[in-house]
Amino acid sequence: MFSSSQKHVEPGSVVELSRPPLSSPSAGATVIARGVKVEGDFASQGDVVIEGEVHGKITTGGTLTVGPEAVIKADLVADEALISGRIEGNVTVKKQLVLHATAHVRGDITVERAMVEAGAVVEGNVHIGSGHKEAAAKPGQKASAASSSGTA
Amino acid sequence: MNPHYAYLYDDFLSDRAYERVLANIETRLSVLGIQGRVARLAIFRSARELVEELVRDGAGTIVVVGNDHTMEKIMWFCPDLAVTIGYIPVCEPSQIGAMLGLPQGEAACNVLAARRIEAVDVGTIDDRYFLTEVRMERTKAAVDIEGRYRLSPRRAGTVIIRNLWSDKTGQAEVDARDGLLDVIIRPLTEAPTPTRWPLAAPMRLEPETALTMLHGAIRSDEPVDVLVDGHRVNGFTFQLGILPRKLKIITGRGKRMDPLLAGSTTPTLPLPESPRTAIVSRAHQALRRVRTILDGWRNWYTR
Repeated sequence: MFSSSQKHVEPGSVVELSRPPLSSPSAGATVIARGVKVEGDFASQGDVVIEGEVHGKITTGGTLTVGPEAVIKADLVADEALISGRIEGNVTVKKQLVLHATAHVRGDITVERAMVEAGAVVEGNVHIGSGHKEAAAKPGQKASAASSSGTA
Repeated sequence: MNPHYAYLYDDFLSDRAYERVLANIETRLSVLGIQGRVARLAIFRSARELVEELVRDGAGTIVVVGNDHTMEKIMWFCPDLAVTIGYIPVCEPSQIGAMLGLPQGEAACNVLAARRIEAVDVGTIDDRYFLTEVRMERTKAAVDIEGRYRLSPRRAGTVIIRNLWSDKTGQAEVDARDGLLDVIIRPLTEAPTPTRWPLAAPMRLEPETALTMLHGAIRSDEPVDVLVDGHRVNGFTFQLGILPRKLKIITGRGKRMDPLLAGSTTPTLPLPESPRTAIVSRAHQALRRVRTILDGWRNWYTR
């Protein structure tokens, strides 16, 4: 599903591909389908696909996929993430993040590697790279390797 | 007569249509040396009192004779008793029987005699037990998952909590030995838009949400009807839980209690089929083929 959209990356988009793009979530992924609402702290060890509505916090040790019609008012913590929907909250991704063209994030993003398609909107600080971890350990120093705010 | 065995007949078996099959079953049980006392369920007779009386008289194995609905009639109290449950399905629906590796009719007697006992989980809703599922149709009720988060259909939908479930062929879809309850939410679909004749309206199938939980609760602002193993109860809040491996049940060699993963094949022995079961399974196959063709048309039409 997402591999086809990755072919349409336009000039001007920020692309960092030091490793292959994320694969689709596995068949055994937990799915929060469209029309379903989750309130509270949702935690999972495996892959999670969200097409519905979430209020609270999401934590997963696998790949988090946020569908284009998903509405999330929550902080997200994931190993890897593919985002196509609307998020209001901070996003923390340990490995790699893909922001698709329909993604809209209102909140801070902290990630090791990122791929952002043209059209994706980020309203908040973006910290890319491993530098932010060291900076967090030493207060007073510059926060991150990369920091930006605005629309890609 | 073997005092260790007792047989519980459903009331519909008093119909003459079942005389022959019951006679065959009783003959086979007699040959195998496991015939026992027979009790019959009836409308104005308490199933619980009937079963408790059988247990008091020394029965250690209660064999349910009927169909899946008969099983559901006694499951709300049976886990409290120190008995092993057997099952002889004599007619449809017998998906539980197929999943447990029990063929229909007298062939199930051989499985009973072999006594392969499996312990399965039992779900609890407030102070009663359930074997298969708890279901709420067209509801806005929320499911509280282990006190951590709450799941609900945004507008309305079907909420199901399952302990044991199989498809039409008897292949398990939910593992009744994993110590977990499966929570499934199917939101209501959009009303179909007017469509071009002669093709049927393409119903927009919303994917379902499926999770597992150890315990939880159903909470609703309005009184909600809940079907527990097919029996209706009503209320605002229900506590849900699971008792791992609580119920001992006799299974056959061809049991299919392990849910299949996508793409895998059934690694089990085929069940010996009665002529009636064979006809039903062929009809299911034909229906599946027709459904596949219709899905193809629908996909082409909605593309």
